Amino acid sequence: GQEFQFGSCRVEGVVLQELWAAFRAVKDVVQAQDNITGVRLLRKEVLQNVSDAESCYLIQALLKFYLDTVFKNYHGKAAEFRILKSFSTLANNFIAITSRLRPSQENEMFSISESARRRFLLFQREFKQLDVEAALTKAFGEVDILLTWMEKFYQ
Amino acid sequence: DGVAVLTAPQNLSVQSTNMKHLLTWSPVVVPGEIIDYFVEYQGEYESLYMSHIWIPSSWCSPTENPECDITDDITATVLYNLRVRATLGSQTSAWSTLKHPFNRNSTILTPPGLEVSKDGFHLVIKLEDLGPQFEFLVAYWRREPGAKEHIKMVRNGGVPVLLETAEPGAAYCVKAQTFVKAIGRHSAFSQAECVKLQGEALSL
Amino acid sequence: IAEDTLDLLQHVKFQSSNFENILTWDSGLESAPDTVYSVEYKTYGEREWLAKEGCQQITRKSCNLTVETGNVTELYYARVTATSAGGRSATKMTDRFSSLQHTTIKPPDVTCIPKVRSIQMIIHPTSTPIRTGDGRRLTLEDIFQDLFYRLELHVNQTYQMYLAGPKKEYEFMGLTPDTEFLGTITISVPTWSKESAPYVCRVKTLPDRTWTY
Repeated sequence: GQEFQFGSCRVEGVVLQELWAAFRAVKDVVQAQDNITGVRLLRKEVLQNVSDAESCYLIQALLKFYLDTVFKNYHGKAAEFRILKSFSTLANNFIAITSRLRPSQENEMFSISESARRRFLLFQREFKQLDVEAALTKAFGEVDILLTWMEKFYQ
Repeated sequence: DGVAVLTAPQNLSVQSTNMKHLLTWSPVVVPGEIIDYFVEYQGEYESLYMSHIWIPSSWCSPTENPECDITDDITATVLYNLRVRATLGSQTSAWSTLKHPFNRNSTILTPPGLEVSKDGFHLVIKLEDLGPQFEFLVAYWRREPGAKEHIKMVRNGGVPVLLETAEPGAAYCVKAQTFVKAIGRHSAFSQAECVKLQGEALSL
Repeated sequence: IAEDTLDLLQHVKFQSSNFENILTWDSGLESAPDTVYSVEYKTYGEREWLAKEGCQQITRKSCNLTVETGNVTELYYARVTATSAGGRSATKMTDRFSSLQHTTIKPPDVTCIPKVRSIQMIIHPTSTPIRTGDGRRLTLEDIFQDLFYRLELHVNQTYQMYLAGPKKEYEFMGLTPDTEFLGTITISVPTWSKESAPYVCRVKTLPDRTWTY
């Protein structure tokens, strides 16, 4: 069967097509609320040329941010737009992934995890420069960019 | 909320087989009246981050039957809380919550139904259609000492598929198991089914 | 500022097939034939809109933006401004467009070769307008990691023979000579839930002349 392999972090029991189906159902509604077409949070500098070893640290940081900040504060909007079912599918599958990630904590991985952290901070800094509601809408609307990147690690 | 005078539904439980999940409970009986039930769920995310949030079930908000197919609501391999309440007009019962949260990786996977047939020299199989989440691993071999076992992946059931172009007069046996990507588990193998193809072995 | 009115312009959207990305729109309910249209596009995350050469002040209702939206890792917007002879104008923007997500897959190009007791099927690579840095055209197989082909040969009305995989050459064996078969070949990309319409070939196996003297 297929699984995620973020470097040494392997994640079974998540079907990427289920995540895509959930996001596709809400994509146009959510992205239509994002009028700031000149800003992209998950820019190339965040996601391009990520090494396998780095990927586990980066995906953990990104998914944790989405769970702790984006989903948590976007829930009201999701209820307002009547997209709770898709919202719940995405959030719970992100939980399923993060609960199975075990990034190595060994010293020689420090520089790699730091590189991943810098990438994440790029994303977080861009997020914080926007008005909160606009940032939440934009981040949720960019889940397809995240899924597209995750697909590279879906073997 | 209406005043809770109705007794709450009891004995909630989930029966899950081949990724079909059915929530059942004991019916609330008020003679001469029809009771409506409302089912709601919350995944691990909701229970961790916003435990007050429950989501109405896709098919049972409301329903008159003391059961609910929650398959479409369980869309991640995490723990789900489920609850039910009864209503009669403006009367509403308290919520009853499933004692142990449900995770779809506990579903029972049964060996797939398998029909083996032959058409001339073609060995044809038809596997039970269990839905898009299921793939099948089919093992087949010639029924003779030391025969090698062949393996074939079949993506979907319900469609007759040619397994092998066999030799005249040969006998073949076939067995199959299911695999579910969403939970990373497979079923036991089905009983082997054997058929003998027509015609005599051609001796040149 | 352009007045955004439904009666001049509607349904501005991308239509994408094998990464050929065409912007299309409809005139409004009361558009006059002499209404002209101008197209702009931008990469999501960039600030400026760029005018599409060749689609300025046009009267047709489509514009080929394949080259301009040719980076599969980027997302894009396009917008159309309609201007009526009377000087009224309206502007409408597309949804955010990703060719990876939106493109549909055309049926494959296949050669079906009948033999006496088998039928060979050769699938030809599908090239796309997408080019690498050094100018090489990418094929669908280059772009989609998990692309595979699904081949079915319908044997009378009861069952079909079924082959599948990423390779290009297949052969259905053990067939009856001098018999007609219907073959269907589709392209499938599971991760993106994409599947092409089938390429269909109707072929007849050759007569078996080995026993004739």
